[in-house]
Amino acid sequence: MRKLDALLELFQDLEPAERLELLLDFAERLPPLPPEYVPLRDAGLGMVHECQSPVFFLSEVQDGRVRIYADVPREAPTPRAFTAMLVEAFDGEPPEAVLEAPEELLYRLGIAPLLGMQRLRGLTAIYQKLRREVAEKAGFSANPR
Amino acid sequence: MATYAHPEVLVSTDWVAEHLNDIEHVRIVESDEDVLLYETGHIPNAVKIDWVQDLQDPVIRDYISKEKFEELCASRGIANDTLVVFYGDKNNWWACYAFWVFKLFGHEKCAIMDGGRQKWIAEGRPLTRERPSFPRTTYRAKDPDLSIRAFRDEVLAHVQAGKPLIDVRTPAEYRGELVHMPDYPQEGALRAGHIPGAKNVPWSMAVREDGTFKPREELERIYLQEKGLKPDDEVITYCRIGERSSHTWFVLKYLLGFEHVKNYDGSWTEWGNLVGVPIEKGDPEATQS
Repeated sequence: MRKLDALLELFQDLEPAERLELLLDFAERLPPLPPEYVPLRDAGLGMVHECQSPVFFLSEVQDGRVRIYADVPREAPTPRAFTAMLVEAFDGEPPEAVLEAPEELLYRLGIAPLLGMQRLRGLTAIYQKLRREVAEKAGFSANPR
Repeated sequence: MATYAHPEVLVSTDWVAEHLNDIEHVRIVESDEDVLLYETGHIPNAVKIDWVQDLQDPVIRDYISKEKFEELCASRGIANDTLVVFYGDKNNWWACYAFWVFKLFGHEKCAIMDGGRQKWIAEGRPLTRERPSFPRTTYRAKDPDLSIRAFRDEVLAHVQAGKPLIDVRTPAEYRGELVHMPDYPQEGALRAGHIPGAKNVPWSMAVREDGTFKPREELERIYLQEKGLKPDDEVITYCRIGERSSHTWFVLKYLLGFEHVKNYDGSWTEWGNLVGVPIEKGDPEATQS
């Protein structure tokens, strides 16, 4: 079973209020950005412009494994939580785990209805950036559709 | 320095610190862009009102019904005579939106905490994760006050009559360079640009670095001297979905004393999808000469 499936199972069994609680837990778990990526972030590279807050998100494929490097301010707990979930689900996994993951992940997790359109836009952009970068760096078609 | 037209609708962080235990008369409400931010810590005795979960109808594109609004207030311990003080993230963007919805349903005593969450935290004031609960009230809402809400037909008539509109989006959105992100066409509009004759004043022009509103003189320079609005004008504000424009609505109505300001909550995601309505593109200078 892929790590993402475990995450999906966990979320799908919860009531909406409990999903928010779980998201909040994730917001506290985002690993710190490794120091070698701080200059990139400070130069404004790797930013997700659709987010209302400064979100740095970069994914790479190293030795056949997905690596995610991200930094999201504490004052933006929702994108921070979602980023931490992506790290949990995909960091260390083979690229196929990302490429085969559902495109409508936010709906499958059941968090889309909690957020509303304006908020979904930023999170969707983070997820699309992950899918695009992993596809490119693993040598697949750059267009996931 | 000249005071604002309705200074009673702004309270300071000091005032909130002094009144946060006056739970019988005052209810502090946090409204944020980020749905989890309240849970990470909020002003003691503040309740949460979320624009998606609490203020919008889940099915129809509209606000909640009068009955749902009454239930919302009752559940948060808000009575008809409670002074409701709103604050939030992002320069009180969503706090102003919640304020507008409360005014729509005729709540009399509403205020904004100047500087919002950012200023409260910058001043090192306390936050708590403890969710307060207050005794239920019986709340009676009024019918929606349509003197502060504009609908599309009215906006079209407003344009045809040559009356002023303020587009509070970014200049790129206003000029029509951005319609939506390539991956999410369902969240945008089929056409880009602005409502003809609208002047572009991005909403954040009304706030200072510390999150507080600019002084009246500076606001008058922007909206009156530079954009040529007059306080007795009928003005309509809009943005993409009607949230940022409730911030500018607040500024014009309460800080500058405009009598007739409406927020067009359909905004660009309605106008840019309507068949046959007029649209302008390009620079503000070019379209306003």
